This record gives sequence, C-alpha cells and structure tokens, in this order.
Amino acid sequence: MTKTIVVTSGKGGVGKTTTSASIATGLAHRGFKTVVIDFDVGLRNLDLVMGCERRVVYDLVNLVNQESSLHQTLIKDKRIENLYILPASQTRDKDALTIEGIARVMHKLKKSGFDYIVCDSPAGIEKGAKMALYFADEAIVTTNPEVSSVRDSDRILGILQSESRRSKMNETPVKEHLLITRYNPTRVKDGQMLSVDDIVDLLAIPLLGIIPESSTVLDCSNEGKPVILDDESAAGQAYSDAIDRLLGESKPHRFMETPKKGLLSRLFG
Amino acid sequence: MSSNPGVEFKGGMYTFMSLKLHTSDKDIIDQELANKVQQAPAFFNNTPVVIDLSVLENLTDGELDASSLIECVKRHNLVPIVASISNKSSQLARSIAIPLIEASTRNSATARDGVNNAESPPEAATESSQNSVEQNVSEAQAIDELSVSQEVEYIVKAPLLVDKPVRSGQQIYARDTDLIIMDQVGPGAEVIADNNIHIYGPLRGRALCGVSGNVSARIFCSSLEAELVSVAGNFRMLETIPEELRGRPAQIWLDKDRLNIEPL
Repeated sequence: MTKTIVVTSGKGGVGKTTTSASIATGLAHRGFKTVVIDFDVGLRNLDLVMGCERRVVYDLVNLVNQESSLHQTLIKDKRIENLYILPASQTRDKDALTIEGIARVMHKLKKSGFDYIVCDSPAGIEKGAKMALYFADEAIVTTNPEVSSVRDSDRILGILQSESRRSKMNETPVKEHLLITRYNPTRVKDGQMLSVDDIVDLLAIPLLGIIPESSTVLDCSNEGKPVILDDESAAGQAYSDAIDRLLGESKPHRFMETPKKGLLSRLFG
Repeated sequence: MSSNPGVEFKGGMYTFMSLKLHTSDKDIIDQELANKVQQAPAFFNNTPVVIDLSVLENLTDGELDASSLIECVKRHNLVPIVASISNKSSQLARSIAIPLIEASTRNSATARDGVNNAESPPEAATESSQNSVEQNVSEAQAIDELSVSQEVEYIVKAPLLVDKPVRSGQQIYARDTDLIIMDQVGPGAEVIADNNIHIYGPLRGRALCGVSGNVSARIFCSSLEAELVSVAGNFRMLETIPEELRGRPAQIWLDKDRLNIEPL
C-alpha cells in the first residue's frame, strides 16, 4: 500500500522543504521506496536541498502534461537507495497543475511500487497548496513556535478537513501530525517563543517531533544534503526520531530543554 | 462625512397578532370578526395582523378566493400586512395580493404556540379537539388526534453538533437552532447560530448567537478567550472583556441592550 504524506504549513519559510527532504530521505533510509514531489511550481527549491539541481531535465508539469515518462522524470538520489525526487518546474506556474493530471501521476507512482509519496507543499492556501494536500493520507503540519505560524497551521488543518480527497469522499480523515521546527528552548524560557505545550494546546493534534533551531540546518541546505543525514547534529537526530514515530514507534520527545549547564550551576542555579 | 447614516438595515423581531382562519366561509369570518371587534374596538383599530392560512391550505385544493377573505378582514379595520403560508408556490399563494412569508409548520408559527403551551400540553390538545366540532369522537380517534397535535406542537429542530476543532478560517452557522461544539474554537474561526451556542472547549475565535434577532440567545463556553462575542448584534471584543473572566467558563447573554458576561 502506497502512503501519501503531505508536508504543509500555510505560512512560508517555516521549513517545509527541509522537512520534506529529511522525511523522504529518512523513510528511504529505512528501506521504503520513496519519492518526494516538489509542488512549488514556479519556485523550485527541493532539488537544491536534495542536491540534485544539475540533474533536472523534465519536471512535474511535463509529467502532468504527459510530455515525459515517469522513468525520464524521476531523479534517483545518489546517496540513498530507494529515494527519488520529482522536481517542480521553474518556468511554469501553479495553474499548470490539475487534479486529473496529478491523479494520473499518483497512479503511475503507485503502480511503480512506491511505499511513500512525500508531497512538499508550497506556502499559502491557494491552488498549489490545495493540489499538494488533495491526495494525502497523512499530513505533517510544520509549525514554528510563533503565533502567526500556529494560526496559519490551524487554517491549513481546516482545509485538510474540508478539501482533501479523503474528506470529499467521506473516507477516514487525513491523519495529522504536528512537527515543530526551529524550536529554541532558551527563547521559549524567555517568553519570546511559544512553548511546545502552548502549540499542542492551540492546534490539538498529535506531536510528531520537535526540531531544534540549529545552524546545521542551513549549512546542510547550502550543501544540498538533507539534514537527517547529519546524524551528529541535534536537528538530524530529531528528524530521525520523527521518522520512528511516523512509523508507529513511541519515543520520548527530546530537545525541549535548555542546553544543559555545568554540574555546579545545575546544583545551585 | 456625517457619522450618522441616513438609513440602516437591522435584523429584528417584532410581536404581531396573527389571525388564523379556520374556515373559508366569508360570512362566518365576517360575523365572528364583527363580534370580536365589538368587544374591544380600540384594540382592533388599524392593528397590523399576520394572516395565518396554514389551516385553510389543507382544507381547500386551490379553489379558495383568498383575496376576498383578506378584503373581508380589512373591512373590520384590521391591517393584514403579511400572509403566512407553508407553500409559497401553491395556487392559493398566487391569489394573495399581500406579501407572503413561508412558514414551515415546524418553526415559526407553531414553535411560538409550542412555547406558550409548553407548560400545559393537555390543554392544547383539548383546545384542538373542541375546534373540531365533533365531540363524540371515539377514544381511539381522540388519542390519535392528541398525538398528532402534540407532534405538531413539539417538533424542535435538532441542534447542530460539531465534534472536531473549529479551525482558523472556518465558519459554522446553525440556522434556526442551537450550535453545540464539543471541541475548541480556534482563533480566526467563526461560530454562528440563530439560537444558543454551547462550546465544550476554549472559545478563541468569534461566537455570534441570535444572529437573526433572537435577543434571548446565549453563549456558553468552558474557557472564554474569544476575539469577539455577540448576542443579536450586540458585540464585545476581547479588550473589553474583564481580565478576571478570561480563560474561565462563562456565559454571555443580553439584558436589554447590555451584553452580560458572567462566570459559570
């Protein structure tokens, strides 16, 4: 059974593409045949984060318009077995996508034996975002610990409930996961950021993971390497934990506390 | 620009006398109206009335001369302003010259009767059996009639129940009924009802009850953190809600024109 997972948020710049890249890589690393699709037609970022920008020949729009075959369009990752990238077009816009066209692509991917289809949604709540979430079985809602991001995530959850294929066909609703990115426990303590509890309380969906704010994330993006591959870093480990939870394991959440102080300051601080 | 607008549209509820016609016999109507008006001529002088045709609709099959009945009512110094009818597209409806309102038997007219009679249901039943001339109805028939009449009096529209969080940007409207929400109402969400709103969770968005003018509608919530609350168009924003009431269970209702917020 192929599972389709959308990574979405409403708000831009919260880490959807970073998350899509790491989730897809993590799933492939665990042995699942995985494809990650960039739905941000016109802006095309995923190929950069995945480090395959020089290998893009055909793109999602070509595939939707039946101008290229699946085999021609999918880019096979060089690092991880079982991982494929379906890039977005940079020269077209979101109007080039149609539900029928995407349905055809999804069908082909399912027939090709993919276990997971990860859809990297564009920001906003317009056509592109709705296309990305339409076929989802599960949704990873990416949120930063600040009010406007949480509000937008709440909005996108409403859209998932009313505009996804599952809701329109009256099937079991899309399974929702909350992923908090750019979490900085020190700034939470200072009251500059919302705490995990606040966010979970506001959004009322199960928590998949907390990705700590870290310069490694940006370094990896610049290098074209999904941060999950950096297993030394806290962010990489946090994504790895999230994959385990996505696959049904229960793991305690990490990276919620401020960095550990020395023994003395812990005793007297 | 003047701050006072020249015109203003508002929703509102007004009480009118309704005149229910039980027969299409003009002479009987004429006679009975004359008697009634004679008892209190001042009371009936130019009084606006709603003509309730629900009974006649069922008695006749389109043969009725409704306009002459209305003329007859007018002769007794009553002013028919609107006719209440269950089917606006019927033959009868087309023959009426005054404005029509479509009264579904479940809500408007009978619901009001239902409220009035709520404390004494048996009386309502006897009244209807008196109207139906035949006093010697068999017991079985009487029971049948009683249940039928009670059904008409007590049909209440089911509340709209929502058991999922209402998310930012979502809007839920319970027409002609109560709205019950078993989860939270997120910031930027809007819940609206013609009657009461009950929220078993934090209210963080907007809640507007009694939107078509029901001033006795109330809002109940288990944690008041609303952006805005409104009863029949009288609203308050979060800033004007006292700090000590926020985050607590509360009810909101209208006392004359004042919006009251009280902890539960």
